[in-house]
Amino acid sequence: MNASDITAMSPFVAAILVAAGVILVDLAWPGRRTAALLVTFAGLAIVAALTVAVGQAGTTAFNGSYRVDSLTTFLDLLFISISALTAAFAPDYLGERKLPVAEFNAVLLFAMSGAMLIAGSADLIVLFLGLELMVLPGYLLAGFHKTDGFSTEGAIKYFLLGSFSSAIFLFGIAFVFGMTGSTRIDAVSSNLAQVVAGTAPFSPALGLGLAFLMTGVAFKIAAVPFHYWTPDAYQGSPTPVTGYLSVGPKVGAFAVIIRLFAGALLPMAAQWNIMIMVLAALTMTLGNLVALTQDNVKRMLAYSSIAHTGYMLVGFAAFAAGQIQGLEGLLYYGAAYAFMNLGAFAVIAALQRRTGVSSNLATFAGLVKREPALAWLMTLFLLSLTGIPPTAGFFGKFYVILAAVQAGQTNQWMNVLAVLTVLNAAAAAFYYLRVVVYMFMRDPDAEVSVAAHGRLVWTGLTVTTVMTIVLGFFPGLLLDMVSTAAKAIG
Amino acid sequence: MLSALNLISQNLNAYLVLSGILFSIGAFGFLARRNAISMLMSIELMLNAVNLAFIAFGAFLYSSNARHAAEASVIALIVMAAAAAEATVGLAIVIAIYRNRKTPLVDEYDAMRQ
Repeated sequence: MNASDITAMSPFVAAILVAAGVILVDLAWPGRRTAALLVTFAGLAIVAALTVAVGQAGTTAFNGSYRVDSLTTFLDLLFISISALTAAFAPDYLGERKLPVAEFNAVLLFAMSGAMLIAGSADLIVLFLGLELMVLPGYLLAGFHKTDGFSTEGAIKYFLLGSFSSAIFLFGIAFVFGMTGSTRIDAVSSNLAQVVAGTAPFSPALGLGLAFLMTGVAFKIAAVPFHYWTPDAYQGSPTPVTGYLSVGPKVGAFAVIIRLFAGALLPMAAQWNIMIMVLAALTMTLGNLVALTQDNVKRMLAYSSIAHTGYMLVGFAAFAAGQIQGLEGLLYYGAAYAFMNLGAFAVIAALQRRTGVSSNLATFAGLVKREPALAWLMTLFLLSLTGIPPTAGFFGKFYVILAAVQAGQTNQWMNVLAVLTVLNAAAAAFYYLRVVVYMFMRDPDAEVSVAAHGRLVWTGLTVTTVMTIVLGFFPGLLLDMVSTAAKAIG
Repeated sequence: MLSALNLISQNLNAYLVLSGILFSIGAFGFLARRNAISMLMSIELMLNAVNLAFIAFGAFLYSSNARHAAEASVIALIVMAAAAAEATVGLAIVIAIYRNRKTPLVDEYDAMRQ
């Protein structure tokens, strides 16, 4: 270990220090949420500045187990934005329910540091540690409302299935280590290249390892048929947490996929891409079909997040079929999805500011008369989730489908996948627009009082709105960053 | 002294099969048990099976390469630490839900199924 190692890893170290700092500040001034929030946002700004300062270098640290490249920088900045927005949306909701803000922010920052470790991992064990560091605080956040039956129920389902899949994932790593002799991603990759070339033997144990890795990762991204934990975990969690869980760990798990499959296992792409394609087709179709029947908006968005996983997998399948644009599409989609989905959940959280307000469709009836600003914002986010131009969501889907069509020139099944994606996007419009119909055309059953929303919530909503619109009008702004990030791996 | 050592298998596959059996027992326990604590124990069993696989690979395949053999042992230690952290979080969640529901049986946690 030397100074350059520390420099390369400084954003990650800073994130941990900020999380610890929030705890210490809360210890010194208990219950003062202004102090905790100040440390959180100042700390996140420092972490972001460090990420930018260290980034783009393309260096490895700690004997090749940690890697800083433009992909790391892109993902780190995305994780920091997600955490900052979640920290902005949560205090109103938490305060009303007498839940501690400082602990929430500390746990959130630890989860973020885990995601950052994933983004920079060049070693399978570091990847596993990052994954654990990301999901363990996630379980805590899901059960953050510990006196609430739904919250703890969601947390235990999330925890049990999450740990189960971690064990499966780790078993896969064990076999890959045993068969290739290293946990370093580039060493595994070159060893697998020999196996594919026929100069090294393919053993059944290696196949077993690959299957286990695929299963473990499919659980983490909630791909069908490994998605059973998602609806309950998302519906039960406190609403700001649901927003975080549907984007943070999801993008984090895609970072695992990129580092693992696009890094270590790329030589065997022809072998595993068929599995990715099947997962993508099942995931988006089933996610959308079940979302159509949901009356609870949180549960509906949970199924819709499963469908979005499917779309992102289409981009990854296109990458595995040889199109770098697929990876670009996946990254663009991840960023667009993060902002629009966090925005949608922020609106739900704002409506649920008063305790006892459910997330059922009925809550949204006549919203435009009560809170026109929230109703219009929700409409924007839902249109973006549907993929209507000119919103961020449109270009996300556009790039993914474009890459799939390009990949279709060499692999005809990619064409089928592209068509299926378009059909799914059309079907999804039904359930998104149903909420809009409720907001604009239905009258509420009972008189509902209007709650005031804090400045932080409005700031956060402004950021998500601006990003959703700007990424829809000027996709080039992000596209440059995305394509440099994709080049780091491809 | 030698007779005791001879009882230890010198065959990598024996350890991998044992690891696979332990992992399967853990997975079966996780899927078949209804008690949250039992499910947690099953997951621990799976993680220990993984550790056995790591150690076996390190000891047999890479015993000639001191760095790889040491790497396997260090990985096992890291996995133990991660498993401990996971168990801590898991038990905390189990206690929280037990206070709400007064039962550790997971199939009674069905409030969200309409």
